[in-house]
Amino acid sequence: MELLVATAIGILTAAGLYLVLRLRTFPVIMGMSLLTYAVNVFLFASGGLTVGAPPILTDATSYTDPLPQALVLTAIVISFGMTAVVVMIALGAYLGADDDHVDDPAPEVPQDSGAGDAP
Amino acid sequence: MSLFLIVALPFLGALLPGLMNSAGRQACAGVTFTVTLAALIGLLTNLPAVLAGELVTARLDWIPALGLNATFMLDGLGFFFAALILGIGLLIIAYARFYLARDDNMGEFFTYLLLFQGAMVGIVLSDNILILLVFWELTSLSSFLLIGYWKHLPEGRQGARMALAVTGMGGLAMIGGMLILGQIVGSYDLSVILQNRDLIQADPLYGTALILILLGCFTKSAQFPFHFWLPHAMAAPTPVSAYLHSATMVKAGIFLMARMWPVLSGTPEWFVIVTSAGLITMVLGAVIALFKHDLKALLAFSTVSHLGLITMLLGTGTAFGAMAAVFHILNHATFKCALFMSAGIIDHAAHSRDIRRLGGLRRLMPVTFVIATLAALSMAGIPLLNGFLSKEMMLEEAQHTVLFGSPYLVTVLATLGALFSAAYSFRLIAHVFLGPVRDDYPAKPHDPDPGLWLPPALLVVPVVVIGLAPFLAEPFVKLVTASVLGGVAEVPEAHFKIWHGATPALTMSAIAVGGGLLLLSLFTPALRFWNWAPRPEAKRIFEDIVIAGAVNLSRRVTQGLHNGAFTRYGAIMAVTVVAVGYHAWATGTLAGPTRAPQATNLVQVAGWLMLVAATFGLVFLHRNRLLSLILIGIVGLVVSVGFVFFSAPDLAMTQLTVEVVTIILLLLALNFLPNRTPVESTVLRRSRDSAIAVAAGAAATMLSYHYLLRDPIAASISEFHLANSYKGGGGTNVVNVILVDFRGFDTYGEIIVLGIAALLIFALTETLLSGPVRARLLNRKPDQPRAGNTHPMMMVVLTRVIMPVVMMVGFFIFLRGHNEPGGGFIAGLIVSIGFVMQYMASGFAWTAARLRYPYHGVIGSGVLVAGLTGIGSWFLGKPFLTSDFTYVRIPPFEKFELATAALFDLGVFLTVVGAVLLSLESFSRLARRAHVPDSEHPMDIDPSREIPDPVKVGN
Amino acid sequence: MSHWIILPIILPAFLAPFIVLAARYHIGIQRVISVVGGLALVVIGAGLSWQASDGTITLYRLSDWAAPFGIVLVGDRLSALMVLLTAVLAFFVLLYAIGSGWDNRGRHFHALFQFQMMGIMGAFLTGDLFNLFVFFEVLLIASYGLMIHTGGTVRLRAGVQYVLFNLLGSTLFLFALGAIYAETGTLNMADLAGRVQLIDPAATAGIRVAAVLLLMVFAIKAAVVPLHFWLPSSYAEAPAPVAALFAIMTKVGAYAIIRVYTLIFPPELEAVVGLHGWWLLPAALVSLAIGMTGVLAARQLDRLVAFSVIGSMGMVMVAISLFTPAGISAALYYIVHSTLAAAALFLISDLARAGRENLELTTQPPVAGAALTAALFFVAAIAMAGLPPLSGFVGKLLILDASYQTSAVVWIWAVVLGASLIAMIGFSRAGSILFWKAESLPRDAGAEAPARPPALSYVAVGGLLALMAAHTVLAGPATGYTSAIAAQLFDPAPYISTVLDTPGKLSDAVDEAH
Repeated sequence: MELLVATAIGILTAAGLYLVLRLRTFPVIMGMSLLTYAVNVFLFASGGLTVGAPPILTDATSYTDPLPQALVLTAIVISFGMTAVVVMIALGAYLGADDDHVDDPAPEVPQDSGAGDAP
Repeated sequence: MSLFLIVALPFLGALLPGLMNSAGRQACAGVTFTVTLAALIGLLTNLPAVLAGELVTARLDWIPALGLNATFMLDGLGFFFAALILGIGLLIIAYARFYLARDDNMGEFFTYLLLFQGAMVGIVLSDNILILLVFWELTSLSSFLLIGYWKHLPEGRQGARMALAVTGMGGLAMIGGMLILGQIVGSYDLSVILQNRDLIQADPLYGTALILILLGCFTKSAQFPFHFWLPHAMAAPTPVSAYLHSATMVKAGIFLMARMWPVLSGTPEWFVIVTSAGLITMVLGAVIALFKHDLKALLAFSTVSHLGLITMLLGTGTAFGAMAAVFHILNHATFKCALFMSAGIIDHAAHSRDIRRLGGLRRLMPVTFVIATLAALSMAGIPLLNGFLSKEMMLEEAQHTVLFGSPYLVTVLATLGALFSAAYSFRLIAHVFLGPVRDDYPAKPHDPDPGLWLPPALLVVPVVVIGLAPFLAEPFVKLVTASVLGGVAEVPEAHFKIWHGATPALTMSAIAVGGGLLLLSLFTPALRFWNWAPRPEAKRIFEDIVIAGAVNLSRRVTQGLHNGAFTRYGAIMAVTVVAVGYHAWATGTLAGPTRAPQATNLVQVAGWLMLVAATFGLVFLHRNRLLSLILIGIVGLVVSVGFVFFSAPDLAMTQLTVEVVTIILLLLALNFLPNRTPVESTVLRRSRDSAIAVAAGAAATMLSYHYLLRDPIAASISEFHLANSYKGGGGTNVVNVILVDFRGFDTYGEIIVLGIAALLIFALTETLLSGPVRARLLNRKPDQPRAGNTHPMMMVVLTRVIMPVVMMVGFFIFLRGHNEPGGGFIAGLIVSIGFVMQYMASGFAWTAARLRYPYHGVIGSGVLVAGLTGIGSWFLGKPFLTSDFTYVRIPPFEKFELATAALFDLGVFLTVVGAVLLSLESFSRLARRAHVPDSEHPMDIDPSREIPDPVKVGN
Repeated sequence: MSHWIILPIILPAFLAPFIVLAARYHIGIQRVISVVGGLALVVIGAGLSWQASDGTITLYRLSDWAAPFGIVLVGDRLSALMVLLTAVLAFFVLLYAIGSGWDNRGRHFHALFQFQMMGIMGAFLTGDLFNLFVFFEVLLIASYGLMIHTGGTVRLRAGVQYVLFNLLGSTLFLFALGAIYAETGTLNMADLAGRVQLIDPAATAGIRVAAVLLLMVFAIKAAVVPLHFWLPSSYAEAPAPVAALFAIMTKVGAYAIIRVYTLIFPPELEAVVGLHGWWLLPAALVSLAIGMTGVLAARQLDRLVAFSVIGSMGMVMVAISLFTPAGISAALYYIVHSTLAAAALFLISDLARAGRENLELTTQPPVAGAALTAALFFVAAIAMAGLPPLSGFVGKLLILDASYQTSAVVWIWAVVLGASLIAMIGFSRAGSILFWKAESLPRDAGAEAPARPPALSYVAVGGLLALMAAHTVLAGPATGYTSAIAAQLFDPAPYISTVLDTPGKLSDAVDEAH
């Protein structure tokens, strides 16, 4: 079971990173969300995997580790805010330039010598 | 007067000229003059002590930790230079007052001048080599300002930058040298260092230190191969050239060599490096000087040559050499400064410094003629003038010096240098003053008013006096020499006389003078040869090759690295992280698992397969953006199911609700973005990215698997949370208690992040809608055919029915949060989804008109409520966010628990609702279009309905 | 129970929502609130530094739970210094933003500014790693808002890259935290310091990876090459006051590295041996070189300044990566200097905009108010290039002196001195184009002179430079304080015991828990 989770994290990371390295904002944002899933699961798993022992105090004897859950919850919320923001900024950039490339357009460098603008 | 005051006066005074600027030129010059005079008088008050041979010191600790302290000392050498700097400074100021033109900013000029003066005095009085470095670099900076004083002249700007670059470079090298020196001795105090000759010269780092320090001295004093900057510094106003580049700054290097003479000199390294550099500079400078047509350039190169002479004398490492050096410093300062001023006068009067356009000024400018001629003859080393005496001593020293095993090398070269120096001195007199009066001067030359010729005249006085009566200078020179030698060697007995009898030196100078006259008579052919001979142009090499080369190289590096491609930056980052991580992993030690893997069943495998399928699907189909959204939804879904499975119900609910809102948000955004991603990246690039991605993925897998099978080294702190969640937090849902109590501060920060996100989105929307984007948005043509019924009836009805239910569910989730899965955050999301559905169903205007709460307010109040809950505990003397709870019983209800945590959770709830709604509202505000009127009705049939254009449907 | 130490965090955290709630539409009121808040922060910061100066370590248990179970704030000399520095910087930047009217060219400047303060202060004060992450996010998202303030396509595109890069950073941070928790089962720094000591020498791989992941997270913040790529365009495109405020953001990374790698993973710790010098020093030297090369290469003034920031961070990291008391002390002195210098330069480059179409380093009509602006630029450039007499030179000497005993001394000296030469040439070129060459243009008498920047802007810049001068003149006491900080950092026992041994709510239950 641990292997399944581990590989899932790995695959999510790989896919996310691959998409992050694409040229347009949309796939990059998709990739970011995948990375977020990956890291959330990773953080969650850092407390170990327990089946059927939710940290709701009853008369049960053992519970799963609640702390990672709390951390992940915080992380989810924060990454939600971040996603909203990056989507908005990307949208703004796209609407401004009518171009949703992530990279800057190649600069038209005037190949002057250093003396060209010699002060 | 205290040495501090002497050093500080020019700096403090530097403030005045700027202020006096409006008060007129006279006031400016006056105040500067007064300041300098005060400093000079202050210096003279210490003369008796110096003559008595005692060491005047002043000490103020600045940075004891570093050993950088403001300590000053005054001995013969220091006094000599300080007097030179301040005394000549006075004359220069007086001269500049008349030299500068009406529209020159005099305040600025004198401010820089005083800054320079202070720095110079600082150098010669420092007793701490680090503070000396400070002043050293200050002279470079102030001379940069002075050379570039005429900002509109390109020569000025380039000369200034060249001087700064070269001398600055030397200064930096010297920092290294001085630090090494200090580390060897264990103190940065000069007086201590000077006592440790043997320790220093025995140290393995002596050579390094020597070279670094000499780099500083040679660059400053324009010694070969760093001589080239000085002539270009002559673009400065003449007073600056006279002051910095003949009398004072260029002597700083010489001064330092003299200062360090006791500890650095006397070794073979010192002898070879310094002597040969001096010799080369002396000859080279003299030769070039002869063929320069610009009066100031000629003087500049002759300065270079004379500096070489002095350097050579210091290099020999004998007491006599040192004495000759000191004497020549004095003489050179007098006649060269006078010559520069005369050059300035001629430039002023004839509006040209080009020797070829001058001549015959003898009759037109008699006064200047006398002054310049006396000075020039002294420079040529003609008897009865002071230049003669020190040159005699130089030649005397030269023919006792054996360099590279040859007893004649130095002798010959020294004579040669003297010969050329005589030649250019004669040329100066002959080609400028003698000869017929011409009628084609750029302006009618005439003697200036005394203000201009008095200063040089005063300088010529010592030239003659010392020349006639050397014994007058003798005691003082010997005093200075003594402090140079610093007890390492005895001051030589030799007396200063005009006539030593027919010594070899006399013969040599006779040769020099005769040869000089001969050379001048052959000037025209010599010049032809000179112009024919190829030679490197320093300025071109420096500006166009060194600097331009450096700039181009740095541009190639910088622009090559930072090409603005995020995709590349990301790739580099990923590679770095994986590589560094792997290095750490590989250099560590590995131990086996401490936990047994748990069994796997088919359901899990099925879920895993679903996740993997969706993920790969997303990778391969990401160009279709709508599809990608659906796929990522699936991924999220599987993840949340996974959370349920691994006993994390809160997480699952959160993930789910967040998922919904995120998708809605992305849908809104997709509404603007193109709906497909074109194929752009090459196969090569894609394979590169996949390689990186796979590496990272493998790393992540390996790490997670490693951690999943190992227990932490000690019991997790969460056991405390489990144990005390109910007792101390009053809740049975430990996750929620952690969120609102144990780690409530995290949550506080988290809701603030949400709030900021919303504010940011709102602010950006405002900016966009008030900018050029607005028009484009309004006239945007949808790339997809729009559905006819933008607000479908079924949906409207449904959302209306659901709304109260949603509210209730939200309320319920909120209340139970403390004990059961749920809580403010989830509740907030649920409720906001309810509202969002109204937007979706009935459109922006209709809903906005019915939602009266300003979301800003909701967010603000949410954050405030949470904060105030936290502060509330202050009044119980408890820290921020300390929770408290009690059980109340209102019949007929069950006994239930009231926790302040719930109040905090309320803050969370409000912030979430406000944030989500404000963001989505901002998005939908962008979505409004000009030709689609906001409908007043909850549901309608779009009037602007059109038959879908098949072409559009295609894409 | 004194609440002083939490004020730097919650004061802005209350002012911001209040502005949003009450003063949304009144820039005047917003300005008043902001300035008053800024002043208050300066006072509080000074108070904290004074309190910490005698070595007292102040502990604040949030929600009254004892560490490591709850979150704690810890105020020692280091935190106090950083808080004070931030407060002072922010105050002058605020003055400039108001003076130049930048704050009124978009919405919510002051609210975001306050939130930014909260994030930075929190990062400096918290004693809990995950809480540090939360505050990083707060300061980051606020910085996004400030950076794209007033919009503009180029700025927004730079913004997208800035955000994306930092999202990657945050992801990495979470990975690191997960690894740390999985290895140690705790998040509190002091507790970690204790627990990593227990690590079995036969199983160090896990903690080592965790340690370097964390190091790289902070290295991204500190813009260490090759993780610096986010910096140049985002700082160059950001509004001048924002860029000036960002001068402290890179220092947050430096602070975190100092904190974590002296407290949790000290150099002598066997488990992570060899991880400190190995990557950090070379990377730092390269950063220094790359940064100053960029100064020489830059075609626009704002990019030039941005690269000088990278360079100065390189200097800081060089000093840090020595991991000796002398090195850390020098680093801290230099941190204060480079923060002030970078901020001043960003503001000055905005002043230089007056009367020019852009900041391209080409000949254009003279800057309005050239004389004063030029003088300020000259001073700030001297400081940044590390020339005397300003603090840059002192800092450089301190770093060179601290590195004398190390094996890499030749490299360090060569790069440091060479870099300042390049920087000097770069700055002198830029300055003489901007302020001197402009004079060579023919003046057309007809054109009316463009308006000079308002006095308040000059006051702000002057204030920063004055602080730098003070930092130089009082270098004696300053270095005294920084070496006291270093001493405290290299003797973490009091810190750890203060954090872990102070009881909180239900602390008696700890025994049951374990």
